[in-house]
Amino acid sequence: MKVSFNKREPVYVQVVQHFKEQIATGNFEPGQEIPSRRELANQLKINPNTAQRSYKEMEEEGLIYTEGNSPSKITSDEKVIKAVREELISQAVDSFVTSIRKVNVPIDELIGLIKEKYTENANE
Amino acid sequence: MIEVKDLTKRFGRKKVLNGVSFTAEKGQITCIIGINGVGKTTILNGIMNLTPMNSGLILIDGKKVSKESYEKITFIPDAITMLPQMTIREAMQFMQDFYNSWNEERANELLGFFKLKQEERISNLSKGNTAKVNLLLGLALDVDYLLMDEPFSGIDIFSREQIADVFTSHLVEDRGVIITTHEINDIEHLIDKVVLLDNGVVLKEFNAEEMRASEGKSVIDVMREVYKG
Repeated sequence: MKVSFNKREPVYVQVVQHFKEQIATGNFEPGQEIPSRRELANQLKINPNTAQRSYKEMEEEGLIYTEGNSPSKITSDEKVIKAVREELISQAVDSFVTSIRKVNVPIDELIGLIKEKYTENANE
Repeated sequence: MIEVKDLTKRFGRKKVLNGVSFTAEKGQITCIIGINGVGKTTILNGIMNLTPMNSGLILIDGKKVSKESYEKITFIPDAITMLPQMTIREAMQFMQDFYNSWNEERANELLGFFKLKQEERISNLSKGNTAKVNLLLGLALDVDYLLMDEPFSGIDIFSREQIADVFTSHLVEDRGVIITTHEINDIEHLIDKVVLLDNGVVLKEFNAEEMRASEGKSVIDVMREVYKG
């Protein structure tokens, strides 16, 4: 697991975002065990207290769950996974729309461009 | 918790510490930042009672520093204090003879972690490896608090990364750490709390993650404001 963090956003927020991306893309499968707080801190080179905070946050959002003393796992709740995916898509589209609106591109031209670029990049 | 209250220190007519107060919690990494000559090392010496202070109070878990404190807190100075002709093994033996809190198992683990050979003589080690031995001797003590003076200065990037790795591992976890540095870049994501020092006073004391959350500022952003503003 390699994540590059920016320095201005709270690290725990960035860790949660990373987990959401992995869940949405299926890299982290439902019910998959996740590293302990210490392992995560060590893998991502972050403070163990921050790793702890990320897990607490994700637990509250229902992204991960813990049963008794066993390791925490990625949620199997399809509704949550679907919501995460939708959230990420809508975040990305929002930020795209905000920046493209400044350029004032006609919608048809824009859609054409998106189709072209999106398939082109995927083939690379 | 280590509490430093209103510490002052003069060397002759020169005031080095001018009423320094801050706290460092157990289970957290507290970083004292300041350019050279602002009194970072003097503070650590003060906490360890190695230099007499002119006034102020230092409490470790609510108690003043005494002979027994040295089994609870350790100081890793910026240069190794062992005799150069000693081998790493002999230096470890020296520490074991001296401290009840020496943890041989952890010492051996650290040898492996840093890829050091115990039969090597300290005088023959590279600068980076000397720094690692220095760190090993301190980290192998089962103490609640670790003070480290400039653990990253003057060593190569890979050794720095290796040392930074220690901070995210069980070798440091749950202990209270105070480190001094003038180079924050490598460790920005590792520290809990920042104490900015200048001209013998604390300019600002803050939690790094809270600062990012509430004001969207990196540690360097805050330093720029405080030192140049």
